[in-house]
Amino acid sequence: MTSLYAPSADDVMRRLRPFGLFFEKSLKDLIKGIRSCGENSEELERFLSKTLSECRQEVESPDLDLKTNAVVKLTYLEMYGFDMSWANFYILEVMSSNRLQHKRVGYLAASQSFHKDPDILMLATNLLKKDLKYDGNNDVLKMGVTLSGLSTMVTAPLARDICGDLFSMLGSSKPYIRKKAISALFKVFLQYPEALRDNFDKFVAKLEDEDMSVVSATVSVICELSKKNPHPFVQLSPLLYETLFTIDNNWIIIRLLKLFTNLSQVEPKLRVKVLPKILELMEVTSATSVIYESINCIVKGHMLEPDDYDTALSCLEELTKFCNSNDPNLRYISVVLFYKIGKINTSFISEFNTLVIRLLKDVDISIRSRALELLEGITDDENIAQIVQILVKQFADKDVVLANKLFKQTRQENIEIEVPNSYKIKMVSTILRICSLNNYANVPDFDWYLAVLSDLCVISQDLNDEAIGLQLGAELRNIMVKVPSMRETCISTIVGLVSNNDICRQLPMVLKECLWCIGEYPSSISNGDDIIKLITRQRRLTPEVQQIAAQALIKIFSSWCNTNGNVPINDVKHTIQELISFFESLSSSKSFEVQERCVEFLEFFKLCAESLEQNDEELPLLITEVLPSFFNAYELNPILHGTLKKVQNSLSIDLETPFLSEDEVKNLLEEESSKHEAESMLASDLDMDDEFEEDDAIENPAHEDKLLGDRSRDDLAEEERRVLEEERRKEKLTNPFYLEGDYEDFAAKRENPLIDFNDNQDQNYPESSSLIAGELKHVSETSKKTKKERKKKKKKAEVLIDEGVPEITSDVAAIPEPQPAKSISSSKNSSRINLKMQTKLESFNFDQPQKYVEDSGAAGTEGQQEIDQLRAKFAESSLGQDMDEEVVIVKRKKKKRSKDKKHSKKKDVEHHSAHGEPAKCDSGQNPQAENASAHDQTAHESL
Amino acid sequence: MTQIKYMLLVSRQGKVRLMRWYSAYDSKGKSKISRELATMVLARKAKMCNILEYQDHKVVYKRYASLYFICGISSDSDNELLTLEVIHRYVEAMDSYFNNVCELDIIFNFTKAYEILNEVLVCDGSMTETSKQAILRSVMTMDSLETSDSLDQVLS
Repeated sequence: MTSLYAPSADDVMRRLRPFGLFFEKSLKDLIKGIRSCGENSEELERFLSKTLSECRQEVESPDLDLKTNAVVKLTYLEMYGFDMSWANFYILEVMSSNRLQHKRVGYLAASQSFHKDPDILMLATNLLKKDLKYDGNNDVLKMGVTLSGLSTMVTAPLARDICGDLFSMLGSSKPYIRKKAISALFKVFLQYPEALRDNFDKFVAKLEDEDMSVVSATVSVICELSKKNPHPFVQLSPLLYETLFTIDNNWIIIRLLKLFTNLSQVEPKLRVKVLPKILELMEVTSATSVIYESINCIVKGHMLEPDDYDTALSCLEELTKFCNSNDPNLRYISVVLFYKIGKINTSFISEFNTLVIRLLKDVDISIRSRALELLEGITDDENIAQIVQILVKQFADKDVVLANKLFKQTRQENIEIEVPNSYKIKMVSTILRICSLNNYANVPDFDWYLAVLSDLCVISQDLNDEAIGLQLGAELRNIMVKVPSMRETCISTIVGLVSNNDICRQLPMVLKECLWCIGEYPSSISNGDDIIKLITRQRRLTPEVQQIAAQALIKIFSSWCNTNGNVPINDVKHTIQELISFFESLSSSKSFEVQERCVEFLEFFKLCAESLEQNDEELPLLITEVLPSFFNAYELNPILHGTLKKVQNSLSIDLETPFLSEDEVKNLLEEESSKHEAESMLASDLDMDDEFEEDDAIENPAHEDKLLGDRSRDDLAEEERRVLEEERRKEKLTNPFYLEGDYEDFAAKRENPLIDFNDNQDQNYPESSSLIAGELKHVSETSKKTKKERKKKKKKAEVLIDEGVPEITSDVAAIPEPQPAKSISSSKNSSRINLKMQTKLESFNFDQPQKYVEDSGAAGTEGQQEIDQLRAKFAESSLGQDMDEEVVIVKRKKKKRSKDKKHSKKKDVEHHSAHGEPAKCDSGQNPQAENASAHDQTAHESL
Repeated sequence: MTQIKYMLLVSRQGKVRLMRWYSAYDSKGKSKISRELATMVLARKAKMCNILEYQDHKVVYKRYASLYFICGISSDSDNELLTLEVIHRYVEAMDSYFNNVCELDIIFNFTKAYEILNEVLVCDGSMTETSKQAILRSVMTMDSLETSDSLDQVLS
C-alpha cells in the first residue's frame, strides 16, 4: 500500500544523497572500480569508458546533486587523460548553484578545464560578477571559493567590472577576504592595468596591514607585478627597505629580495643602499634559502659590478659551502649561480678550479652538466689537460661498461650512473670550446690536441649528432689553417680519420672538412694516388661531401703529379681513368652544385687523358703547367667571421659602363685582324688556358664577357689579351655572386678601380680601403712577430689570428638583434584573446597622466573607446622595454670584452690595430661579438 | 613569487594522482608532460638532486613515501629551494588535515586535496599561504559549512 504522503523512491534517493548514499556510481565507487581493475589495462579501459558514458548521461540530469557528482567524477577522470572540456557548460551550471557544496565542485572543475575556451569564459564572466557583488556582509567562504576560482577565469571586461568590488573588499574586517581579494587583484591588474594606476595608494597601503598574511600576499603580488613592469614600484623602495629590516618572516624576506631583484634592474641607484643590507642578511641568517635568494638577488639584480671582488668573494664563499654539502640540491643551485657570477667576470671564479673539477665528478649528471658550463671560466693552459682527461675518461668508461658505469664517490659505496647521450654531446662541445678559447691560448701542445680531436671523433661517432660532427670538422680545419707548424701532423691525423670507414659514415661533416683540408694542403702527401683511390671508392656520400670531394680530388691529383717529379705515366693514366669514372658517376647527380663541378672536372680529365694518349714519354703541359696554375695562387689565411659580408655590403658595383666603347672595340678588331696570322699559334694555346680558368670558376656567370671573348678572342694580340684578362678578372671581382665562391683571399686584389667605396656615405672609407691592402699584411706580420716572441717564452705553436677588415658600416652587422621577435610577441599579446597568463601589464605605461583615465572612468563603460586608445599607446610603449633589453645585451658584451682582455691582452692590442679602433663606430660592441663567434667559423670565409 | 607552472602528484607506479595546471596547456601537452616527467622523475636515484631541466623550464620534485610531488617552475626567476619548501608545506597541511596522510587519502579525497592546494598555492601558483593554521582553518570551516548545508537540505 502506498500512502499518499509516503515519499516516492526518487525522493528518498534524493534525500539520502547528502549522507553519501548514492544509487548512481559515486566517486568512491569509481575509484574502487579503477583500483579493482589493477594492472589489467584492457579491463580498466572498458571500465573507464563505461563510467565516462554514464557521466555523460548524469551531467544532463536536471538534478543538481547528480550533476555535481558527475562533474566530480569527470574531474577525477581528467587525471587519466580524458578531456573534459565538452562538459564545460554543465560545470557552469554546477557553479551557479547556491549551495557551497556544489559551488566548490563547480569552481574546482572550472579551474581545471576552463583555460582555453573563450565562449565559456564569457558566460562565466556574468556568473562571477554576480557571485562577487560585495555588500559588506557576504558569506566569507562563498567569497573565498569564488575568489580562488576567479584567478583562472579573469578577462579584461570582467576585470574592469569587478575591480571596484575587489577594492571595497580590501576594507573588509576579515583578513581572509582581504587576502583573497589581494590575490584576485593580481589577476585583475594583469588584465586591466588601469585599475592599479587609479588605486595605487589604496593597494599599496595593504603593505602595512596588521595581518601578516595580508602583508605577505601584498608583497607577493607586488613582486609578481614588478616582474612584468618594475617601474611603478620603484617609488616604494624606501618602504620596502624598512620592511626588510623589521620583518622576521623568512618567506616575506625572500619575496622582498625577489622584489628588490626586479627593482634594481631598472633603478641602479638602489644597489648602493640595498647591497650592504643583503650582505648583512647573508651573515646573520641561518636559512639556506634566504642565503641563496640573497646571492640570487645580488647577481640577477645587477648589483655585482665586474670589479667588485669583495662582494663576489663573499657570495662565492657561501656557494662553496653549498657545493661541499651533502645535499645535491644545494650543489646544483650553487653551480648554476657560480656560472652566473662567472659570466659577470670570469676572474671571479678562476680560482675555484679544484672545486669545479670535483663537481665534474659528481654523482648527479645534472650537476656535472652544469659544471661543464663553468669550465670555460676556470681552464688555463696548466689544468686543461687534466680536465680534458677527466671528461674523456667519463666517455671511455661508459663505452666499456655499456649503459652502467661505475663511479666512485669518496666515502660512499659505488653508484651506477647512466650517462645520457645529451651529456656526452655537451662534453664534446665543451672540450672543443675550452680548447679553442681565445684562439687556442689554453692549448699547451697541439700534438696533444690533435690526439684529443681524433679520439673525440672516434668516440662521438655513435652519438648521432650532426652538430658535433660539424664542430669537430671545424676544429680540425681551424687547426689546419691556423697552425702552420702542425700541418704535417694534422694531415696524417686527417688521413687516419678519412681511412676510418665508420667515422666517414657516422660523421659526414668531419669527412667533409677532412677532405677539404687534404685538398687544400696536399703537398705533404706523397701517395696521392692512394688517397684518390680511397676517396673515389667512398660510397653513399652526401651531396655536401661530394661537392668538397670533387674539388679535393683535382687538387690532390695536381699536387701528386707535379710535386714528386717522376710519377710513372701509367699510374697517372690509371688514376685519371679512376677519376673520370668517379666524376662520370656524379655528373648526373641531383645536387646542382655537385653536378656542375663534376661535369667541369670530367671534361678536363678527358682532355688530360687525350693528351696522354698522344704522348707516352712525359706528362703533358696541361698537367704540369696548366693544372697547378688553377690553384694556390694566394696564401690561405684565416679571416674573421663576417668579414666577407661586410665587404660585400659596402661595395658599390658599376655594372652599366662597358669596358670598351663600341668604337674602341671596332678599332681593336681591325687592328687584330691584321696581326691575326702571326699570333694564331700562341693564341690557341692561351685560349685553352682561358677556357679552363672558366671551368674552374664554377659560379662565374660570365656570359657577358663570353660574348665579347667569343667574338674577338682569336683576333687579339697578346697585349690586348692581357688587358682583357685583367678586365675579366676585375669583373669577376665585382660580381657579387663571385665573391661567395671558393676563391682565395680577395682582399689582396683590392686595387681594382671598379670597386667604389661609397665615400659619401661613410667617411671611414678612403682610410679603410687603403688599410685593406697594406694594413692587413702589416697585421699578419706583427701578429707573427708577437706570436714568435710568445713562442719563445711558452714553447707554443704559432696560431694565426683571424684577419678582418675594420668596421666599415655600422649597420651591416647590427641586424640580427632580437627586436623583431620581440615585436612579434608583443603584437601577439595584444591580438590574442585572454588565455591564461596573458597580460597587458608589461606594456603598460604608468607615466600616462592620470587625468586621462579619470575622464574615461567617469564615462564608465562608455569609456571603452578611450581605453582602446590607451591600449594602443601601451603597445607603443613596449618599445621602451626593448631598449631595456638591449642595455642588458650591451652589458654582457662588455663583460665578454673584459674577459678577453684578461686572457689575451696582447691579442687585443693586435685586434685593435687591425680594426682601426672600431669602437668609434656607433655600434662599438659589434667587432667584439664577431670576435667571440669567430672561432668556430673562421676558415669558412677563406674557403 | 614562486611562479609555479603546474603541480603533479605521481605515484611510484607512475600514476597521476593529482594534477593542477597554472598555465595554459592543451590536453595533448598536458598528457605529454605528465607522461615524460613521470618517467624522468621515477628514474632518478635518491642521491641525485631534486631539480631537473625539462623543456624550457625547471622541474622540482620531492618524494614523500610512495608519492612524488612534481612542480614545474619557470627557469630563471624562481627559487628552487623555496619550491621544495612549498611542496613541504602542502604535504604538512595535508598531513594534519587527514591526520597522517597516505596515498589512499589523496586518492579518495582528491577534491579535498585540491582544496588544500588551492589554499596553499593561491592565485595561479604565484603566491603561497605559509601559515598552516590559516590553511587548515579555512578548509575546515568550508567543510563544516558544507555539512551544515547538506543537513539543511536533509531536514527540509
